[in-house]
Order: sequence, then structure tokens, then C-alpha cells
Amino acid sequence: MMAAPIRLNVNGATRLVEAAPGSSLLSLLRDDLGLTGAHYGCGHGACGACYVLIDRRAVPACVTSVEHAAGKEIVTVEGLAQGDVLHPVQQAFLEEDAMQCGACTSGMVIATVALLEHTPHPDEDEIRAALAPHLCRCGIYGRVIRAVKRAAR
Amino acid sequence: MKVPVTQPARSARFAAERLEQRIAIGRDGRVIARSGKVEYGQGIRTGFARIVADELSVPVETVDIVLGETDSVPWDMGTTGSMSTATDGRQLRAAAVQTRTLLLDRATTRLGTPSSDLTLKDGRVIAPDGRSLSYEDLVGDEPLTGDIPEIAEPGNLPVPAAEDRPLRLEARAILTGEAKYPADIRLPNMRFGHVLHPPRPGMKLIALQDAAAHAVPGVMAVVREGDFIGIVAEHEDALFHALHALVAEWAPNPVAPNAAYEAVMRQDEGVESALSGASLHLKAAYHAPHIAHASILPRAAVADVREDGADLYVATQRPFGLRDEVAALLGLSAGQIHVHPQMMSGQYGRGNTEDAAIEAVRLSRAAKRPVQVQWSRAEEFRLSPHRPVFDAEIEAGLDADGAVVGWRCAVRTNSYIVGSQALAPGVPEQTAGRDAEPPYRLGQAEISLRVEPGDVPTISFRSLGAAPNVFAVESFIDELAHAARQDPVAFRLALADDPRLWRVLEAVRTMSHWHTPREAGRGLGVACAIYHGTYIAEAAEVSVATDGAVRLESVWCAVDAGRLVHPDGARNQIEGGVQQAASWTLLEELKVKDDVVISSSWRDYPIATFLDAPRTIEVRFVGDPETASTGVGEPGSVPTAAAIANAVFAACGQRIRRLPIAAALLSSTHSGHDAGPEPAA
Ligand code: FES
Ligand code: FES
Repeated sequence: MMAAPIRLNVNGATRLVEAAPGSSLLSLLRDDLGLTGAHYGCGHGACGACYVLIDRRAVPACVTSVEHAAGKEIVTVEGLAQGDVLHPVQQAFLEEDAMQCGACTSGMVIATVALLEHTPHPDEDEIRAALAPHLCRCGIYGRVIRAVKRAAR
Repeated sequence: MKVPVTQPARSARFAAERLEQRIAIGRDGRVIARSGKVEYGQGIRTGFARIVADELSVPVETVDIVLGETDSVPWDMGTTGSMSTATDGRQLRAAAVQTRTLLLDRATTRLGTPSSDLTLKDGRVIAPDGRSLSYEDLVGDEPLTGDIPEIAEPGNLPVPAAEDRPLRLEARAILTGEAKYPADIRLPNMRFGHVLHPPRPGMKLIALQDAAAHAVPGVMAVVREGDFIGIVAEHEDALFHALHALVAEWAPNPVAPNAAYEAVMRQDEGVESALSGASLHLKAAYHAPHIAHASILPRAAVADVREDGADLYVATQRPFGLRDEVAALLGLSAGQIHVHPQMMSGQYGRGNTEDAAIEAVRLSRAAKRPVQVQWSRAEEFRLSPHRPVFDAEIEAGLDADGAVVGWRCAVRTNSYIVGSQALAPGVPEQTAGRDAEPPYRLGQAEISLRVEPGDVPTISFRSLGAAPNVFAVESFIDELAHAARQDPVAFRLALADDPRLWRVLEAVRTMSHWHTPREAGRGLGVACAIYHGTYIAEAAEVSVATDGAVRLESVWCAVDAGRLVHPDGARNQIEGGVQQAASWTLLEELKVKDDVVISSSWRDYPIATFLDAPRTIEVRFVGDPETASTGVGEPGSVPTAAAIANAVFAACGQRIRRLPIAAALLSSTHSGHDAGPEPAA
């Protein structure tokens, strides 16, 4: 059932992995590479809990196949901080306390990193549109909008 | 709510506890404080740490809070009802005060300085001449012990500044992906398990073909115990292949439905004559559907069951209840079950039943190794218990001055409690009936409650019955105000006797610029409540487009929760409660067909997104710091539905008596303006 090993570039390191054809990047990250910062929330690209950066775009890992990710640059929420120094987006979320339970947070941080890379000074409507795929049950939206604005300063 | 098997139920407020159960000073000087409550984003870890840090004069970062670990924390009933700060926060404060006293006693002996001359700062006791001793030095090999004396609330600490810096002790772990939810636990030899759930709850398994499932490579066990069937496999691929290969035949298993519970919550004399003699008489009916807790992460749990005990890695709101349930299931003693609460996706009552944890326990026992169970999103919607359905009929009579002289309210709903205590005398009134009695002078009043078996399983939900009750009551109060041609805020102020309620209402009137006219298509609505001692008033502004689309534009919220422990954390809770309740109100309804929930995805069950979030949710705390702390986790969600519904009426003249509002406006696009509530017969 296992295909030939696949070469993945995750958080700057090359990993050789084995995966059945078509298996999802999310399971691979979580079960095989021990990177559990991207969460399983729906498995259908509908909640935003599992987002990672692939070639600097935010995508749902649950509906991304491992083959599709092969050879591309994958960054998960674990790969953003430099040692003890948080990424500016993480720092902005921290300063605004833009989280409660944290289930949605890693996806929103990833989406914000991608947004600011392409649109360094988004207005509020651009922020809402970029983050719209990310559901939060704790009702953190207002604080996240403030955190994104802070990170864009 | 089960009675614990090993320890007697106690009142958290008045029990004499031992200091060593609560607070210890480590050899490294860190302070360890323990509580049976659990964290699910409501910020209690941070709040508790701040209480202890304040009393002991140490930086908050040096306090470690241990939550819900059943081996080491005092017994606790469960984390519900926005009571954690009021009850356990008080206990921790008392324990910290006692720790301080004992540290001062020891320092007095060692330094020869009277304790009144000593000061505590940054983990040291300091004498006027500059000599000092660290707490860990004072403790040494002799831990601080003894009974914890009662303290006066709220103590005499400085009031934290309202603009204090945001702080969440878990923030770094959450932001870097290190925080562990049950689905993130990886134990040596752990395998994956999943249960084959019947098409509807409680069905009987009459036949099973499992040969094909056994044959799937990677399958380790097919577990059948009565009507329970599950599979344990090396990896998730094998697990799902094997589950699909099972052929099960199910039969209905009719059980006699529970009886309904009827209670009269208030019965004054002469209600009928007060109503019939009133100069204005109104009657209306309100409805709220089943809604889902809709945690972002579906249930997951890890169990490691051995002959002599079990470890559970779970997200639960009642670690001790789960411990006792698992002990009974496994025939072990409670002390052999070790519950380790993990990070928890926002639960709001869902975490009071640990269905996935019990599945993991049974599969782990059979497979003789740690097993992780992960529910799918569809299972989370279809198998979870949900919020009860709600109906209320209210009628009232006003005299010529607009005072309420008669009130009759009949609430019909399902139980918020599972288990043997669900219908115990008084329990439904305190749960389903919560806040059914409005905080106003009602004249002669009758308030009745009927809790009946539901079509789908139901369970506790943020604020229990308070949110639907207040939706009905505060919508109807608004109808009365309009019928009496009075301003809705002034009408409420006149009916209320409680200065704390006046204060929050007056504050939202100012914050929302209540008297400033809004443009066409916009409207302002108000609602208020007293929830477990917290006073809250909200004003909502909505816009209603010509096609009936309702958008929540802004919410202003005034809260009196007494003394605040962590103002920014409290603000976060209120904002979140408002946002979540706005989602229930505008969008949410579970689809139920033939008594089975058929909603199975975010497409079938949309919740509010960034696009729906209001421009502002402004929260102002107006409480008196000399008043004891009350909860903030649930109150924000209580008045929101009525405030929004009343705002829709102000915007377009359409009364909302059924939730969600999106559905309500769509189904009545041709009814035009509302003539007001139906006149009572
Ligand atoms: S889990 Fe990937 S979007 Fe929901
Ligand atoms: S913070 Fe809990 S789901 Fe967003």
C-alpha cells in the first residue's frame, strides 16, 4: 500500500516520509511528524483549523494531498517563531490576547502571515475577507482583527 | 451530575480545606496552586494565578496552576455556571492569605522582627533594615500546612487597573502549536480506535458480520460488548477501511420516555383577575430551536487502561465525575483512575458528557494498550447532545401608568441535565428555569415550567435556560414598552427596583447614544439580565436590508460583576459571549428529521464568521470593586438575543418571536409590518 518515500520540506528541514497515495498532509503532519499545531476540525476545508503555509500561501492541510505538497516549502505554526522570539504576528496575537481556547488560533495566525505578506497594510474589509474561512466558537473575531492591524503596523 | 463515590459533596464556599491541598511553595520558589476547575478558554488559569500572585506578592509568571488533575487537586463538582471565580477563586484567595500569614510567622521568628514591620515583595519577606528571606528558604523542608480560615471578600487588595495588560498563561503554547488538546496526545504504543455508532442513539445490535474487518491489514481488535462495537487499528487508514467493512444490523430499542416534569416557579394570588382587570393586555409566544455547542475541535480522548488502573487524557468539564464513571465501568476504585485534563476546544456545557472518553476506555481495555478516539465533524453534530428546544407563552397586563399588574409565563423545554438528578425536585427550576423570572415588579405573577423528553438528546449549554428565557422575557418586555408608548430603557428602569440593574441600563443608554436617531433601516434594541449575581445590559444596533438580510452592526455592553480579577480577561469573556450568542440568534438551527439530527457539517450548520462579526462590541465594567466577584463566562450571552430581536423591530417594525432571525425574516417577507402582539382572548 505504501508508495515510494516522498521528500517534504517542512519548517526548513527536509523530511522523507512514506504515505499512501492521496493521504492528507494534515494526517501526515500530525501523526507522522508530530506537528500537532494544525488541528483537525472538519476534514473538508470548511473550518480553517488546519491551515499551513505552502509556498507562502495559506491552505487547508486537511484537503491537501501529500503529493501536492511534495517539493514545496511547507511552514506550520511550529515553524514561525525564531527560538524564543515570536513571529510578529504571534506577538500581536499575544498582545491583544486574541484567543480563548486556542482551537482556531494556529489557523488564524497562519492566514494572517500569508495576508500580510501579500497585503502589508490591509484594511478591515480585507482582513475579514482573508480570515473568513477561519471559524471561532469562542467569539474572538474582534480581537483578531485588532491583532492583525497591530501586526501590520 | 453524579454523586461522587469517594468524597462527600461539599459546599465549596464554606468547607474547611487544608492548605496543603491548595498551595505549595516549590524548592525553586515557584508557587503551585491547585483547583478542580478546568480551563477551556475562559481564562481561569490566568485569573487564579493572578489572585494567588496578588496575595503572595509574587510575579504572576511564577505561579503554576494545576487544574483538574484528579490525583492532586481538591474534589470539584464541575466547571459550570460561571462560578469558578466566585467559589474556587475565593478558596484560592483564602489559601494564599493563609500562606502569607504562615510565611510572615516564620520570618518573624527567623529575623526577630515583628510581622507588622515585614513586607512581602517578589517572593521575599523583607525587614526594615534590608535583611530578607526568600519564600523557599522559609519553607525549606517543612511545608506549610493547616486549615484554611475563612476570609472576607473581596479582601483589601489594590483594584487592578481597567487597562491592565492582556495576559493569558497559555498564550505562548497556543501560538506556537505546543498546546496539547486530547487529539494531540501521543503515547508510546498508542493506537487508534473508533466506534461504529448506530443510525440513531440507543439502538440494539442484532447481527454483526466482522470477518472482512478483521482481515483489513493493520486491524488489531474488533471489540464487541453488547451493543457496543469498535475497532482498534495501527493507523487511521486501516481503522476506516475496517469500519466500512463491518456489516451491522440494528433494531429499534424502544424505551419508555421519561415523564415530563412540571413545576410552578411562582404563583401569586389573583393573577387571573389582575390580568383581566388590566387596562392593557398583551400575549405572545416565543420559540428557539435546538442548537449545537459546535466546538471547533470535535471530541477526542486518549485512554490507557491497565489491570490496576487507567490514565485518561481528555477535555472534560467534570474530571471527578468522569473519574467515578470510569471507575464504576472498570470495577476499579476512584483512586486508580487518573484524569489529566488537556487543552479544550471551547465547550460551553458539551464537556459535561465524556462520550468519546468512555469509548476510548472500552477500546483500550479490550486492546490492552493506549487508544485514541477521534470523532469526525459529522459525528460531533449528529451524536452530540444539544441545547433543548424552547417555547414560552407570556401574557401580561399593564395599568394606565404602564406598570405591570399581572404576569403569566409558561415555559416548555427539555432537560439541561443528564442522569438520575435530571428531574430531581428543584433541579429543572434552577437549570431550565434559570432567569425565567424577570428582575422587575410584575404585580401578581404566575411562572410555570414544563420540562419534557426531547426528540434528540439534550445537555447543558452556555447559561442553561437563561439565554432562551431572557430572549422571551426581554422581547416581551419590549413589546409591552412599545404598547405602553414608553421608551424601552425608561420602561425597564421604572419596573426595576435594584440600583445595580439601573446602573447597567443607564450605562448602555449612554454608551449606545440611545436617543440619537439612526438612519433608515437601522435600529437599536436593549435587553438586560441578572445572571448568578452578575448584572448585564446590552444594546444592539442592526441594519435590515430591503431583502430582509439582518446585519449586527454594534453591541454595547455594561457589566457589573463586582470586583474584577483580570479585567481584560473578563472583557474577552463578555465579548465572546456576545459574539457567540449573536451567532445562535441570527443563524443557528439544527436540522432534525424523524427525531434524528441530520446537520452534519459547517455547511448544514453555519455559524457566524469574520464577515458577520459586528464592527464593535464595546464592554464597560461598572461594578463596585468592594463587591465580591461574580462570573463573566456566561452572562455576556444571556441578553444578546433579545437585544438583537428588539433592534430588528426598531429597524423595520418586524417582531421576532422565533429564532434564528435569518429564518424568521425569510419566512415572513410578505407579512409586512407587525401589528403588535396578538391581543389575548
Ligand atoms: S480541518 Fe481543515 S479546514 Fe477544517
Ligand atoms: S478561541 Fe476557541 S475556537 Fe477560537
